[in-house]
Amino acid sequence: MEEKVLVVDQRKCTGCRLCELVCSVFHTGTSNPSRSRVRVVKWEDMGLYLPMACNHCEQAYCVEVCPTKACHREPENHNRVTIDKKLCIGCRTCIIACPFGHPFFDVQERVTVKCDYCDGDPQCVRFCDVKAISFTDADKTNLTRKREAFLKYAESMKHVR
Amino acid sequence: MEADPIHPMRNVRYLRPQKEWKEIIAIYLYLAGMGAGSFVIGTLINWMGVKWNPAFHPSLDLFGYPLNFSSLPILWGPIVVAIGAPFLILDLGIKWRFMYACLNPRTSWVARGFIILSIFILLGLVLLAKSVLPFGWLRPESTLWRIPEIIAFAFALGTALYTGILLKATKSVPLWKTSLLPLLFLVSALSTGSMAIILSTLGTGFFLHDARALQVLMHAVQVLVVIEGIVLYLYLSGRCRASEQGKDSVRLLIYGEKKFIFWGVDVLVGLVLPFVLVSIVVFSHGNVWLIFSSGLTLLCGGFFLRVGVLHAGIKDQIPMHRLMEIQYNAMAESTKNLAGERPGIR
Repeated sequence: MEEKVLVVDQRKCTGCRLCELVCSVFHTGTSNPSRSRVRVVKWEDMGLYLPMACNHCEQAYCVEVCPTKACHREPENHNRVTIDKKLCIGCRTCIIACPFGHPFFDVQERVTVKCDYCDGDPQCVRFCDVKAISFTDADKTNLTRKREAFLKYAESMKHVR
Repeated sequence: MEADPIHPMRNVRYLRPQKEWKEIIAIYLYLAGMGAGSFVIGTLINWMGVKWNPAFHPSLDLFGYPLNFSSLPILWGPIVVAIGAPFLILDLGIKWRFMYACLNPRTSWVARGFIILSIFILLGLVLLAKSVLPFGWLRPESTLWRIPEIIAFAFALGTALYTGILLKATKSVPLWKTSLLPLLFLVSALSTGSMAIILSTLGTGFFLHDARALQVLMHAVQVLVVIEGIVLYLYLSGRCRASEQGKDSVRLLIYGEKKFIFWGVDVLVGLVLPFVLVSIVVFSHGNVWLIFSSGLTLLCGGFFLRVGVLHAGIKDQIPMHRLMEIQYNAMAESTKNLAGERPGIR
């Protein structure tokens, strides 16, 4: 299977937190953003919003520190890093180990939860109106930025002519 | 360790230490360290042949045989570790699943810790039972017992070191990511452990007929407290140079909201006061109240050292956060310029 990743463009994010809502509805059946697997970090005074989702790192610290291997990699599912809730003991070591502050402790289920790409159809991507989050092929993540850079370059070259 | 101004954005968002491991883990680390440290010191005392004054033995019988309490005040460490271990389980989301970690011993340091602590507790309790139980067939004087004693001694050192390795293994917190942390916790475990042994023998007359042993132990506490202070300084100065978040953590301890815990309890109550009081005790030839106060302050300081280290752990900053910080700076600058041009805008 071709590997896909979540790509966040924080410049497009408006901070509506719809992604948090749909994520919690999909995973828990309740519209409770505090149980969501994606979190929008906000700096309201400057209008900066940063949706933080799991990066499914190549060298995932959460996998390395998990005492029960509940946190594991699934190469067959977009090489995602996921947590088996039946094995998780809720020690929260993975939360401390993750530099992105990603896995979250679900106070109702008493285990750690994290983004699992919604089994291949990420709800945050589906419902994001401004397309701040996209689910793209891992080897094409930089194409958009490259295209934007070249368009800017082309634009500036027009003025030179 | 200069007090550089903290970036306003980091101050708001990222100068927040981790909130996952709190006092329960500190209690676990403290009891495991103190119990293991006391066992190390107690075993050394035992090997040196210091015996309890028989006049102070409490007389208790088991099936008509008198129990032997001569080594109880110095070998109780495993009991404290056994009391402390459930605190780690108490902190788990689903308590009964701690068995899963025991069944996967090679996966992580949390799992390895279960194994190290379990072996130490089991061996320590067996050795304690051997010294207390009156059964002749146990042959308590046999030199063969030296083998489990050496193994238990090694595992006690391992337990004291493990409390630091557990934090070090989490990787993303620069304050914890150093080999000096296990060393600091080991020295603290030995100092609190030796003081706990002095306290546990207080009033029992354990050292009465061998006052030199008490003097040696008091000097050992003094030396350990000084070494702990030096290691603490090296640890904090090293972390200050390691990374920006390491510096933030140290700043949080020294100047920030944890400064009362650090200066008031860790340094003053945990290091300076015990050192001064123990020095007075050494010169005043064993004033019981002074020994008691110095012991209490040292044990208190040992606990709050772990609380401080846990509460000041700030995670590494990722490049995305750095980018946001630059954007925030740029926007703040432009807003300031705009306000300068038009006085009405703030």
